[in-house]
Amino acid sequence: MFHNSKGISDFDLRNANSSNRLLGLWRLMRGYQWDYIFATLMQGLSAYSKTATYLLLSYFVDHYILASTGKYPVWLIALAFVAAAAFQGFFTFLSGRSAARTAEGTIERLRNYLYDHLQHLPFAYHAETDTGELIQRCTSDVDALRRFYNDQAIGVGRIVLLFLVNFVALLQLNVKLALYSVVAVPVIVVTSVYFFKKVSAAYESYQEQDAVLSTTLQENLSGVRVVKAFARQPHEIEKFERTNWEKYLRGKKLLTIHSLFWPISDTICGFQMLAGFMLGALMTIRGEITVGNYLAYAGLVVWIIFPLRGLGRLIVEMSNGLVSYDRVFKIIKEIREPLDDGSYQPKTDIRGEIVFDHVNFEYTQQEQVLHDVSFKIEAGKVVALLGSTGSGKTTLVNLLPRFYDYTSGKILLDGHELNTYSRRYLRKHIGIVEQEPFLFSRSIRDNITYGVGRDVPQEEVEQAARMAAIHDVILSFPEGYRTLVGERGVTVSGGQKQRLAIARTLLKNPCILILDDSTSSVDTETEAQIRMAMQSLMKDRTTFIIAHRIQSIMNADLILVMENGRIIQRGTHQSLLKEAGVYKQIYEIQTRIENELEEELSSAV
Amino acid sequence: MPSDFYEEEEFQGQLNGNVFKRIGGLMRPHWRWVTGFLIAVILVSILDAYFTYLSKQIIDEGILAGDTAALQRILIQYGTMIIIQAVAVFAFVYLVGVLGEKVRYDMRQMLFNHLQKLSLSYYSRTPVGWIMSRVTNDTERVADLVTWGLLDSTWGVINIITAMGFMFAINWQLALIVLAVLPILLYVAYEFRKRILDQFRKVRKVNSKITASYNENISGVRVIKALGREDENLNEFKVLSSDMRRFGYRAAWLSALFLPSVQIISAFALGGIIWYSGAHVGTALLTVGSIQAFVSYMTSILWPIQDLARVFAEMQRSLASAERIFSLVDTPPEIKDKPGAIDPGTIQGDIHFEHLSFWYEDEMPVIKDLNLTIRRGETIALVGSTGGGKTTIVNLLCRFYEPKRGRILIGNHDYTDLSLQSIQSRIGVVLQTPHLFSGTIRDNIAYGRLNATPEEIERAARLAGAHRFISNLEKGYDEEVGEGGVLLSVGQKQLISLARAVLSDPEIFIMDEATSSVDTLTEAAIQKGMDAIMRGRTSIIIAHRLSTIKRASRILVIEDGQIAEMGTHAELLKLKGKYYNLYTRQFRFEREDAYDVFKDAAAAQPLEG
Repeated sequence: MFHNSKGISDFDLRNANSSNRLLGLWRLMRGYQWDYIFATLMQGLSAYSKTATYLLLSYFVDHYILASTGKYPVWLIALAFVAAAAFQGFFTFLSGRSAARTAEGTIERLRNYLYDHLQHLPFAYHAETDTGELIQRCTSDVDALRRFYNDQAIGVGRIVLLFLVNFVALLQLNVKLALYSVVAVPVIVVTSVYFFKKVSAAYESYQEQDAVLSTTLQENLSGVRVVKAFARQPHEIEKFERTNWEKYLRGKKLLTIHSLFWPISDTICGFQMLAGFMLGALMTIRGEITVGNYLAYAGLVVWIIFPLRGLGRLIVEMSNGLVSYDRVFKIIKEIREPLDDGSYQPKTDIRGEIVFDHVNFEYTQQEQVLHDVSFKIEAGKVVALLGSTGSGKTTLVNLLPRFYDYTSGKILLDGHELNTYSRRYLRKHIGIVEQEPFLFSRSIRDNITYGVGRDVPQEEVEQAARMAAIHDVILSFPEGYRTLVGERGVTVSGGQKQRLAIARTLLKNPCILILDDSTSSVDTETEAQIRMAMQSLMKDRTTFIIAHRIQSIMNADLILVMENGRIIQRGTHQSLLKEAGVYKQIYEIQTRIENELEEELSSAV
Repeated sequence: MPSDFYEEEEFQGQLNGNVFKRIGGLMRPHWRWVTGFLIAVILVSILDAYFTYLSKQIIDEGILAGDTAALQRILIQYGTMIIIQAVAVFAFVYLVGVLGEKVRYDMRQMLFNHLQKLSLSYYSRTPVGWIMSRVTNDTERVADLVTWGLLDSTWGVINIITAMGFMFAINWQLALIVLAVLPILLYVAYEFRKRILDQFRKVRKVNSKITASYNENISGVRVIKALGREDENLNEFKVLSSDMRRFGYRAAWLSALFLPSVQIISAFALGGIIWYSGAHVGTALLTVGSIQAFVSYMTSILWPIQDLARVFAEMQRSLASAERIFSLVDTPPEIKDKPGAIDPGTIQGDIHFEHLSFWYEDEMPVIKDLNLTIRRGETIALVGSTGGGKTTIVNLLCRFYEPKRGRILIGNHDYTDLSLQSIQSRIGVVLQTPHLFSGTIRDNIAYGRLNATPEEIERAARLAGAHRFISNLEKGYDEEVGEGGVLLSVGQKQLISLARAVLSDPEIFIMDEATSSVDTLTEAAIQKGMDAIMRGRTSIIIAHRLSTIKRASRILVIEDGQIAEMGTHAELLKLKGKYYNLYTRQFRFEREDAYDVFKDAAAAQPLEG
């Protein structure tokens, strides 16, 4: 198994951050660093075994073929060849295995860390960060780092070690020959880096066009009704052909660069080897080196020259990997929102009495969102918030589960300051039903029990679904409660999503409830059902209703009318009707509408 | 990434002569290129083996003979060969690479062109991601098979054959040793490749799950936080990422084992050669150069073997890709012109629905024996709850689908006797979910009439009430709408698609909840424009907004695929039935919206009824 001891899986990756990106990548490997060093060493041993094969060949030719001075039986030499190859293979394997363990282990830890990190970053971060961009970083960039460890860094190590080991062997054979054999090396490396930079740019442009092509295709497929409705097939074909052709052209350009690089580098490498062969052969004829030496030389020099061509690709890709490091660590550097930072842990269940005492809140220094909000609500009562979009209703309820922390003033829950409760505790005891809640692509049942935090028997799930007036709808789905939601399952309407969230909240059984009361998108029948479901949910719980219409809040114990982050009116339905103000206006409008309807109907008939 | 999901589906890849024949058909137009790269690669491959032979010559005829003249001759030959090979390498990389792009281009275009012919029913049962994967991934794989795959296997086979040829020429006994090991090498390499490929497929599968997980974790972060499900989520994710590590590690482990295993097998052959040559010293059977040549051949023969194994292991997948491509191309369009379909020049006239029945899936009729006559120039409003069949009626009228029973007559022609082009080019449809294409606003409106002048486009936009918001944009009509129109609101998109239909100047005008997301104020502003559009045209409107409904000369309440109520606004109200309920509810809703005190003063002004 893998090293799952403490320290490896618990390593806080924030500690791997460094302005020196190579150092950062090194730290990121913590717990696997020895593995990686081992992998590199094994590459060296493997290169050495390869070299040994050629040295053995040299010995064999000089002492067995051209003379009979060999001290060992021939079968032993033959066996030594097999053994050298076996060692080479064995070391290569060990290296590959350790490198893979390092890469996969490091990246697994990174993936887990990122995943956890993202769900612990505060709301404010998610509100201003693009989802696609985040996903890109967590997938493509992370994979770029994996390749950095698994292929590129170790690949560069391999090429450099091959070069060094073989070069040292050559130096031992003959210094002059060795030095002449590497004169073209800088040229090869520089050419290779130059070409792969070009290739990298050309490939990027090819990929960009690929994205354009995908978009064109996707728009055509998802807009098929429009295409057909206007009979625009020829136009679409022409449009696709243009993007398609552009991709062909860019592909051709990429291939042209490749088709130049390989023969050119082949020629440089080839002539370097040829020069070495010539010098080596002449030296052999002059008796400066033995025939065996020449043979070994001819074998070794290949392993010095040709691998260097690949160096350019690795170097260019590694520099891309470094960019990915930056992009990933930009996320990791963000500060998490602590879930368990509270100093107060109630002994018994909370009752749900809430006091807002001159509460102010601002997202940034410039714009204050809540001004001097004060009110008190007793346990089990209903508070309704009425106001336009941007009036601060949503922000106010967002303070309760500590999605945001208020800037000044006090919020007391059962007499204790809200921010002395841990976020985890609060969120466990507050239920939220949004207007159109997010559903996960898992089964209906899993969506209902999502986050309930205990095993729920099927009867209880169905009971909750019945109370939320969604049971019958669920049964009408092809696989009932096991039906998948989303892309590969059923599409669920906004009203149905809301009722699923109600069922979930019933199971969660919170003491405090936040309801977004909007039923605009559903028809009369379902509206009544949702209203009933909400009523059963609100029973005995302190409830905050974000209201859009008066009907749903007439029975509230306290109505707060909000505007620009302030409470401009407060009271019950009855008391608010007695004072002039926004609330009364709204109510009057309702009455007026009924009268108008009367009028309209009678005039039409 | 939706296309990832569908990448690995329906994996078969049986060796099937027919598929090969059709792939051959794809290549036929490019036979010159194929011949060209094959010649180039054969040359390269022969030269590869020849270089080793020349190295042997250097030793035997140059060094051991002490003949510098011969040495010089051989080296010059070697140098010349390097240059010739470089030219051949250039030729094959260029030819095969560009050919690959050409074949990809051809296949994508072939698929796309066919997709344009397929009927809506095909699209409703085939996920977009699946089709995308055919056009992107499968074409890639097939093109790789017929270009690089063909090239690598040709190179491999020729390389092995030439190398064997040279070996037999040098010493047939030793060559036999190599020949004996060859099939073992091929077999082992192939088995390894297959398993490695398998692991990588698993890696890809888990990878797309991981991406989906990240996606949900980020998009659903609000719910996750509110429910405090972080720990459970992380545990679920850890299972995935640990799978990923396991598969990835195993793939890397197998890859790391692959080359050493093959090398060790070949080392036995090498040991055999050494042992043999050591035992035959002095018999002059084997020169030093020959030994070196054998060592070189033995080490370099591993590359073609690897390549062959890879191509064959991947071939199965490529053939499965080819089968999927051909199956898509072979899908017949369900709705197409009958032989002898006519274009009557105009489709103005009365429209009759006669005993119309329709179902998408068997036994689930959506329209049941519907009879209806729409007079030329009449405006019909369809109302009723979701799923009642309103949109299906529109789909049938546009001939996106054809009736299963009964028929539709347009101007006394059964419309299946008319050409699709003659119907669809004269119908203007505005759909509930407006679909825009990447490009400018102008491009999107001009979609209705491709050769429209800027003045005509602006006029259409004015009629559709889109001109005002467009001229407020920085670049006006030349503003980019973004992919799928993401830079605009749904209401704005609806106005643009309305303008598009207006510009197309249709004979029949169809709106399916076309302005549902347009705000009340704008809706009021486009009333006049709408009147102008509908005047003198047969119009069918699905709507829930009262102002639109009331404008109709007849209102149809559609329930369960049948006409539940039919008549004018006043007639239907008198019935106090479904329409009455619908109307009163909608009236309250619209008024509340219009009177909303929270909106700014301008919007709070009540609208005249």
